[in-house]
Amino acid sequence: MLRDKSFKAGPGPVTESIPASPGIEGGAGSNPPVAAPNVGALGAVSGSPFTSRAEAAQAVKTADLLLVIALFLIMIGGYHVHFMLTAGDWDFWIDWKDRRFWPTVLPIMLITFVAAAQYFFWENFRLPFGATFVCLALLTGEWIDRYVSFWGWTFFPITLCWPTSIIPMALYIDIVMLLSKSWIITAVVGSMGFSLLMYSNNWVILAPFHQASEQYGTLMSVADIIGFHYVRTSMPEYIRIIERGTMRTFGKDVVGVSSFFSGFVSIIVYFVWWYVGKMFSTVKYMAKI
Amino acid sequence: MKTTMFDLLARHAKRQAGRLWALGLAAGLAVTMAATGPADAHGEKSQAAFLRMRTLNWYDLKWSKTSVTVNEEYEITGKLHIMNAWPAAVRIPERAFVNTGQPGAVANREGVWVGGQFTPRSMVLKVGETYEFRVLLRARRPGHWHTHVQLSVETGGPIPGPGQYIDIKGNFNDFTDPVKLLNGTTVDIEVYQLGRIYMWHLLWFVAGFAWIAYWFSKRGLIGRFVAVASGQAEDQIITPQERIIGAVTLAAVLGTIIVFYAITVSSFPNTIPLQAGDFRNIPALAGEVDAGPLKIKYLGGSYKVPGRELVANFKITNEGKEPVRIGEFNTAGLRFLNPDVYTTKVDYPDYLLAERGLTLSDNAPIQPGETKDITITVQDARWDTERLSGLAYDVDSSFAGVLFFYTSSGTRYPMEVGGAVIPTFLPV
Repeated sequence: MLRDKSFKAGPGPVTESIPASPGIEGGAGSNPPVAAPNVGALGAVSGSPFTSRAEAAQAVKTADLLLVIALFLIMIGGYHVHFMLTAGDWDFWIDWKDRRFWPTVLPIMLITFVAAAQYFFWENFRLPFGATFVCLALLTGEWIDRYVSFWGWTFFPITLCWPTSIIPMALYIDIVMLLSKSWIITAVVGSMGFSLLMYSNNWVILAPFHQASEQYGTLMSVADIIGFHYVRTSMPEYIRIIERGTMRTFGKDVVGVSSFFSGFVSIIVYFVWWYVGKMFSTVKYMAKI
Repeated sequence: MKTTMFDLLARHAKRQAGRLWALGLAAGLAVTMAATGPADAHGEKSQAAFLRMRTLNWYDLKWSKTSVTVNEEYEITGKLHIMNAWPAAVRIPERAFVNTGQPGAVANREGVWVGGQFTPRSMVLKVGETYEFRVLLRARRPGHWHTHVQLSVETGGPIPGPGQYIDIKGNFNDFTDPVKLLNGTTVDIEVYQLGRIYMWHLLWFVAGFAWIAYWFSKRGLIGRFVAVASGQAEDQIITPQERIIGAVTLAAVLGTIIVFYAITVSSFPNTIPLQAGDFRNIPALAGEVDAGPLKIKYLGGSYKVPGRELVANFKITNEGKEPVRIGEFNTAGLRFLNPDVYTTKVDYPDYLLAERGLTLSDNAPIQPGETKDITITVQDARWDTERLSGLAYDVDSSFAGVLFFYTSSGTRYPMEVGGAVIPTFLPV
């Protein structure tokens, strides 16, 4: 990739060889210079497009930044679309964030890109931030969407449509990968924890919205009232898929059951999407560097 | 060869063809955008005519105010008849929700009552019954808004009622929506706990960003790729110190979650789950539609497409004690009035009101005990502008509506009528 880059004539000939691949010692482009066996007519080193070590380091840094920004933007789009289509309403609306479907559906739908991204970043770069990277991209897209579209265009307040907090879950599964160095352990332990942490890490935000209020003789939570007051013309109440199911024997303690179930499914989904990452990600362009 | 002016122009045009094409496209787009008006209705006309006529009949609708200021409350009240003619194309309203059709959250829905029952969730309604409803709204966003009440039916979709423009004046920033909690405190749900939402998201956002930045600073992508590809030792790619930093980060993440979860649980000890479940046994109105002392037999009808005219023949028997007259035909939110009965101005959205839209073959009152064959003619441009003229092309070419009979003493008898109509396509 960088070999094809045209370069200007430098200020003068240099006598150091700048490998196109800067190696890992001490950071990007920090390989110690080696005496150049052959100096080109224009001052460039034979086999290298760079005129100095600093220029090479800067080029690699720039390429790194461009790569990571491009990946981030792609993930904002791709992951956001995936998540909106598969778990959208549970994440969009406060009156959908229930004890059963929200902690069940979201982790299962989230773990997909997480697994694929972990494959890509871990296998090719040994970078333990695949999950955090895609989740940060997703949340960036979500906040842009919530603020510009939900609030800016349709004036739904943020109290109605704040997105689910997912970064702690991503950090957890990334660090499990870092410490275990095993994608199997990450799939089992990481995916389970990823699901279990969803409700607990969001409760700090959600709890105030589950306080009770009496509205004309009917008990409603603050979240219910917000969902009812702010009119969504195309969303009648019966559309909500919340608190349905047959887990009556667990009484009020259904969150744990939902989260564990979600964790088990997430383990399977992780395996599948790890292979999706393996099949559909590529570094062949980097291999040319 | 002599070059003419046309040749020069042709050559020039050929050279500039791409630019001209792009310029034309841009101009076309600009004109299209300039001609676009605001979309302020809710697709009520788009639904098939037979669906709108045969599912629901909204009547006695009143908007308490049409001009309000921010935070001011206003109501939409009226009656909703679930038609016996309910078509097979839509599932019956065993699960329905009285919704508000408006352009976003321009007004907050403070309450909805159906049959006197507060119904913030879905309910079971019965075909053939008539329900009184009340929707209480609170003005939020300044503007000129088309507002409907509508019934959403599960698997059937929304069925909008008549709409009215509401003018909201004032400052959006002044809007508040106070709600009293069971613990006695009052909160403004417009901005409730915004700081908490932003703070937690920002905290984790920073943590996630820092985690990525930390690892990215360790040789970036390209450097690490080369290291991995070249088979460098794992302990060199990720050092033991970096793993310790990871472990500490994990402990910090889990510790933060556990500690603040515990703090939150103790701060908000009394919480309830989201409330779900439908309302049943909604009280219907007694003595409303079809309760009058009248027997009506539909004898057939036709629909003249070119003239936008519905003609329906009825055999009507008055079994009451007073003479009755037909004053109005109401269908799909449109009101066709008999000007001989409605002699004063009616307060109703103009685009839905045909003040002279109903004529009768015999306008004399039907006396007690009398049976009359009466042909009613419903004709008005609104039949077309509201797209009821599509009836002739519907899969189930039947109309339905409510005829309103009036006695001389002012008693009103709404009676559901309807049946198949035969279209006439040629001008007559």
